[in-house]
Amino acid sequence: MNLQTTGTENASGKRVIMKGLSGFVKLLLMVYAILTLYPLYWLFTSAFKSNQDFFTNPYGLPKEWMTENIFRAWELGNMGRAMINSTVVTITAVVLTILLSVLAAYVLSRFEFRFKKLVVVLFTTGLLIPIHSTLVPLFIMMKNIGLLDTYGALILPYTAFELPIAIFLAMAYMSSIPREIEEAAMIDGSGWWGIFSRMILPLCTPIVATISILAFLRFWNDFSFALVFINTQALKTLPLSLSLFSDGFGTDYALTMGAMAIAVIPTIVAYLILQEQIMKGMVAGSIKG
Amino acid sequence: MPTAMRSKGFIAIALLPALLLFLIFVIIPVFWSAYYGFFSWKGFGDATFIGLDNYIEMFKDPIFWRALRNNLILVVSSIVGQVPIALILAIVLFKNSFFSRFIRSAVFMPMVLSTVVVGLIWGYIYHPQFGIANYVLEMLGLDSWTRAWLSDPKVNMLAISIPINWANVGPYLVIFIAALQNISPEIHDAAKIDGSTGWNKLMQITLPMIWSTVVVTIVLCISGSLKAFDHVIVMTGGGPAQSTELLATYMYNSTFSVYRYGYGSAVSTMIMIVSAILIALNYFATRRKSS
Repeated sequence: MNLQTTGTENASGKRVIMKGLSGFVKLLLMVYAILTLYPLYWLFTSAFKSNQDFFTNPYGLPKEWMTENIFRAWELGNMGRAMINSTVVTITAVVLTILLSVLAAYVLSRFEFRFKKLVVVLFTTGLLIPIHSTLVPLFIMMKNIGLLDTYGALILPYTAFELPIAIFLAMAYMSSIPREIEEAAMIDGSGWWGIFSRMILPLCTPIVATISILAFLRFWNDFSFALVFINTQALKTLPLSLSLFSDGFGTDYALTMGAMAIAVIPTIVAYLILQEQIMKGMVAGSIKG
Repeated sequence: MPTAMRSKGFIAIALLPALLLFLIFVIIPVFWSAYYGFFSWKGFGDATFIGLDNYIEMFKDPIFWRALRNNLILVVSSIVGQVPIALILAIVLFKNSFFSRFIRSAVFMPMVLSTVVVGLIWGYIYHPQFGIANYVLEMLGLDSWTRAWLSDPKVNMLAISIPINWANVGPYLVIFIAALQNISPEIHDAAKIDGSTGWNKLMQITLPMIWSTVVVTIVLCISGSLKAFDHVIVMTGGGPAQSTELLATYMYNSTFSVYRYGYGSAVSTMIMIVSAILIALNYFATRRKSS
């Protein structure tokens, strides 16, 4: 009798400790998550402060919520123009990436031809080339052909550098599509283009979504190419304008925070809606890349 | 049925646009920079062939070696920072509860931000006047630790590595969670029967099972550190006195601000070589481990 009670007491004691431990772990995790989110919280609260409020009370909530910084940043920093540039460049490059990569992946996964091995090897090396080592030669080349300082100076290299990863993701996905589907379509008399556009492309929707997310985030957030290849104010993308913004309005910190808030909101909203897909896409992309 | 001729036409038209774009903008520039690396050229006028002079100058330049060292600092800090943090979080969070999903999405969030935003925010966090880094240290009574984090050459590379770690734990966490969920439940059952729990189980069962994933994340750390260009340009521009220069920013600063395209090409080629060496080293290291 006695033994039994001590036994259960022991067990329940253990359970209490385990519970306490997992509570403690949860607390630590919460702290880590809050630490991770804090810079963003700080960004958004500061964006709604006056500069004076920011200096006297940098870490608290705004004394008075003002939207002035956002509007001023929008006008002074040409953020509207930058937003349009980023949108044009990103969307064109994403569409181009999808079209070219899915077509190329289809050819590489379904056909046998003479230089196929060489082509695959070339695209594989593409995964390993650090983009910064190509900035100087690309700059010289684009200067020579008059491409520098145009939308094309971003759209073409973005697409070119995204192709290897996009092609390999699409090839891996296509290997799971049974060939019988195409054989049936062939007997019906469809040509390759018909098979591709009516059967393969629709079947590839999930991987096209992954490629788009990956490409979108990379192009939208790119800084290096824009920094080197774009000079005209009217063509600057969001990250580039932001980096200059902080130089131009050096001490107007609340204003810079307002500009950053503008730039960050679209990606955060997209993330909140599509987070599972974004996580999966970025992980697939980073493992292959 | 499509004929052989028509297949050939399809292959050509479907593959060539991607292949040409890729060759022109990715592969050919690599050879161009190798070629221009042997010239002295200001970007206009004639280029003069100078043989290996650019490379000799590079190897004699202490800034080049500092940039290389700084790149290696970032590699090491990612390997000892991101990888263990992500692994520990993954071990705790690998169940699909609401709580763990919440933490996971919070930790992943910085990954979708532009590197410019990450750089700017952290520049403010380290700001000597209103930055919270110094404020927290003062609160903790560590006044002597406060400093201008980005200008003190003793600590500024460390200071730069923290935001890079901060932004990149997310994907590693998701990779590790996927790897942990791939371990079959039977193995966990077997471990239970053997009485292997807690630390023992982690070291003897879990870690060896996901070791190949750990290796993958280390490769990612290496390639990731070569991409840290943006953070440095935004936070310090490579300064003060070029103390935070990376290979890529060294290339950028010695090409576009002083118009030395030949020298910049030589440095670009060096970046290619360094990254090839790192990848090769890793390839051999991992091959030995897995065999």
